[in-house]
Amino acid sequence: MSEEQIDFGYQQVPRDEKVRRVAGVFHSVASRYDLMNDLMSFGIHRLWKRFTIETAGVRRGQRVLDIAGGTGDLAARFSELVGPTGEVVLADINNSMLEVGRRRLVDRGVVGNVEYVQANAECLPFPDDHFDCITIAFGLRNVTDKDKALASMNRVLKPGGRCLVLEFSKPVAPGLSPLYDAYSFNVLPRMGRLVTGDADSYRYLAESIRMHPDQETLREMMSRAGFSRCEYFNLTGGIVALHRGYKI
Amino acid sequence: MDHTVSMLPVALVATLEQVTNAALALDPELRDRLRTMEGQVLGVEVIGLGIRLYLIPTHDRLRLLDRFDGAADAMVRGSPLSLLRLNASANAERLFGGEVVVEGDPEVARQFQAVFARMDVDWEEHLSRITGDVIAHQIGTGVRGFLDWGRQAAATLGRDVAEYLQEERRTLPNREEVERLLSAVDELRIDSDRLEARIRRLDQRMGKAGD
Repeated sequence: MSEEQIDFGYQQVPRDEKVRRVAGVFHSVASRYDLMNDLMSFGIHRLWKRFTIETAGVRRGQRVLDIAGGTGDLAARFSELVGPTGEVVLADINNSMLEVGRRRLVDRGVVGNVEYVQANAECLPFPDDHFDCITIAFGLRNVTDKDKALASMNRVLKPGGRCLVLEFSKPVAPGLSPLYDAYSFNVLPRMGRLVTGDADSYRYLAESIRMHPDQETLREMMSRAGFSRCEYFNLTGGIVALHRGYKI
Repeated sequence: MDHTVSMLPVALVATLEQVTNAALALDPELRDRLRTMEGQVLGVEVIGLGIRLYLIPTHDRLRLLDRFDGAADAMVRGSPLSLLRLNASANAERLFGGEVVVEGDPEVARQFQAVFARMDVDWEEHLSRITGDVIAHQIGTGVRGFLDWGRQAAATLGRDVAEYLQEERRTLPNREEVERLLSAVDELRIDSDRLEARIRRLDQRMGKAGD
């Protein structure tokens, strides 16, 4: 029986192969991930993440799960906002990214209310109705089965809680698409080679962004996974979109 | 629903947050005071300008957000002028004097106001470590003059606007007029009470006469 094929950038690969290859990409870029993000987005990724924090409306004492939390940008902010009576769980499937994240947060003095869990978003190892807020920033794209991941997130979210997905999306501002394409297929891989010595990983990044569902499709996927009142915010002309849904 | 969001306000508030925290870093006592308010959310809305800002003290800084999709502990609304004067005054009278509307927990709003009224950083002391006392003092005098002028200008502007509305435009009554009106209303109320008593007495008397 032939194994089911799934996209890895523009290539089709067997399902297990994608997990292995995505892991390879992130092992390769983990140590310079933040530097690359700053270079690639001209620092704007910080504003996208800031907007995510604002839209999350997290308060003291709440329990927050940051999936694919990578180097801990969101987790550090959430840790401040929930305070000593709250809890933040930083989860990532990739142990290199998780290790970089943990080291960075500890170095910045973010300790006490942050837990680190190596977990697959498709089968989150948490009880039902557990978190007040779940975020996944620039991570859903790399998940093999996105529907399964969204359903799993819905399961561990408390009723009344909200789930936020920050992800590259489809540019909607007129004239932006050709510029964006030229940038991501010509400039990005070169920049990747210069900084991390790995052009292929950044080619995968550009391709995976194109293969990711657009704004409306992702909203429908969230509704199908059980989220209510799903909406999205186009940031920077739709290059990135923040989706939000509630569990009711 | 879909929304298109500009990153500009997000960037501006991020900058403002940095500047505020740089100032707070110079006043350890104030920072300690803010730390006791960790996690409290105060919303400030400037009426007329459509500006909203949320302030959340954390263990080591003050977070500013240009939106907060949750419930704030307290929300303070006022005109630019009344908020400015609120900031410059050390007592809570203005906060509860009706110029500014407070929703939610008034104690939270009062704590924030006390912190901001105190936010008078001794820049000169910190500057002198870099430039030496003499230059720091000269710069300090200049800056203080400017700040005092700013405060005075705000207070004068407040008085002038009130005067303009009361005396020139006659849109608002002045204090005397209000007091005259209030005492006239009082007198009227007392008169009507007296009249009522008198009618009752006459009524009783006529009742007796009819018996």
